[in-house]
Amino acid sequence: MSGTGSAEERKVSSLRELSPAIEPVRDLWPQIEARINAERSSAPAAQPRTVRARAVPPRWLAAAAVVASVAVGVWIGRTLLPAARSGSGGESTISASRATAAGAPTALDVAYVPDPRYQRDRAALMRSVQARLAALPPPARVKVMASLAAIHLAKEDLESALGEDPGNALLQELLVNTYQDEMRVLTDIHAAGDAGRGI
Amino acid sequence: MRVSRLAAAMTVLFASAAACASGDKTFERQVPAEAHGVVDISNVSGTVVVSGWDRPEVSVRAELGEGVERVDVSTDHGRTTVKVVLPHSGHGGEADLHVQIPKDSELAVSAVSADVATAGVTGAQRLNTVSGDITAELGGSDLELKSVSGNVKLKGHGQPARLHVSTVSGDVHLEHGAGELEAGTVSGTLVVSLDSARSVRARSTSGDVHFEGKLARGADFDATSVSGDLNVRASADAGYAYEVSTFSGDISNCFNATPSEHGHLPGHTLQGTRGDGAGHLRLKTMSGDVQLCDRK
Repeated sequence: MSGTGSAEERKVSSLRELSPAIEPVRDLWPQIEARINAERSSAPAAQPRTVRARAVPPRWLAAAAVVASVAVGVWIGRTLLPAARSGSGGESTISASRATAAGAPTALDVAYVPDPRYQRDRAALMRSVQARLAALPPPARVKVMASLAAIHLAKEDLESALGEDPGNALLQELLVNTYQDEMRVLTDIHAAGDAGRGI
Repeated sequence: MRVSRLAAAMTVLFASAAACASGDKTFERQVPAEAHGVVDISNVSGTVVVSGWDRPEVSVRAELGEGVERVDVSTDHGRTTVKVVLPHSGHGGEADLHVQIPKDSELAVSAVSADVATAGVTGAQRLNTVSGDITAELGGSDLELKSVSGNVKLKGHGQPARLHVSTVSGDVHLEHGAGELEAGTVSGTLVVSLDSARSVRARSTSGDVHFEGKLARGADFDATSVSGDLNVRASADAGYAYEVSTFSGDISNCFNATPSEHGHLPGHTLQGTRGDGAGHLRLKTMSGDVQLCDRK
């Protein structure tokens, strides 16, 4: 083909060599103008108000993503990590983490974590427990109230002892046991109040 | 003939009238049951006495006090239900139930203030009361028992089983148990004797725990209390390693072992091994005293 010498195959070295009569197949200006506007909007100083308003959502999204990440992290920490599985309503609680081999407490040994789910469940049980206690036979009510008082006293004693020795793994374990026992008792009382109704 | 029928009818009439006048009624019924079926019994107040027998039927005999409406007995797909029904007014009376069930049945009893007693039942038992006492004979199958303030008395024959017992303030006495035991109480006393223990978990808040028994090879024994005392007398053919710790209680033992202190911190621990040390025994309290000795 290079050896044919036709006009179509001739190399163009300047725009002047092109015929001005040749029209583009479509109007290219709208696309070019849009491109220019887009480039202007990317320059901060030149941003018109409306364009800036459109650019804000990605930043909010980024901030929201950060907040969501933190929230998920907190949720994982409170829900899934062993240190966070105990707690009490309005009281600080202590995880059953172990003391160091040397027996000295570290920052990780004592974790005060109020668990919202525990608080919610305990509060719900406490609301109903008075009515349930009233439904028990009087001698049983007296005995059960004495047991609840024993639990309360045990919690106080353990927390007081932990005040003296915060990293004591034995006390932490017993305190966690006592919180669990309290929940078991409250649940049993709740169930006992219903026992006669199902019969 | 007519005269004798009339006399019989009159007799029944007078008997019923007498029963109504005294306020007590008797109830008797037998229904066929599967040998390995399920029997559910519920009674609010009075007594429930259950015994196992070899017949494939459930027999119910009851004395119903004033205020008891009726006793429903039904059987469906291997499940027999015996239910003391009280009037909706809520002012119920007492009923004394005597129920005989196929001995291999799975038994479930639910009561409020009624005392419950079982004997001769070799199937699994699930017994619940609020303030009623429970007396049960262990038949080698699993037992799950829950009471709020009622006392519990269990007697086994050394057959291994899984036993779960929990009370709030009721005392627990277990004799000749075996296998796995999980027992918990807040202020009740746990007195446990196991012929052969594979696993023991005992927990109390202020109640004392007394254990006497033999640990199987590799047995695991855990007992904790906040302010209750722990008193353990154990033997084990393959021995056991022990670890005792208390925050402010006293530790005593029959091995002449000396508890160690934690330097300037409160608390005592005692560690050691008996025999080959195949089992593990851990005892922990906050202020309760601990005593560990060999079983005599």
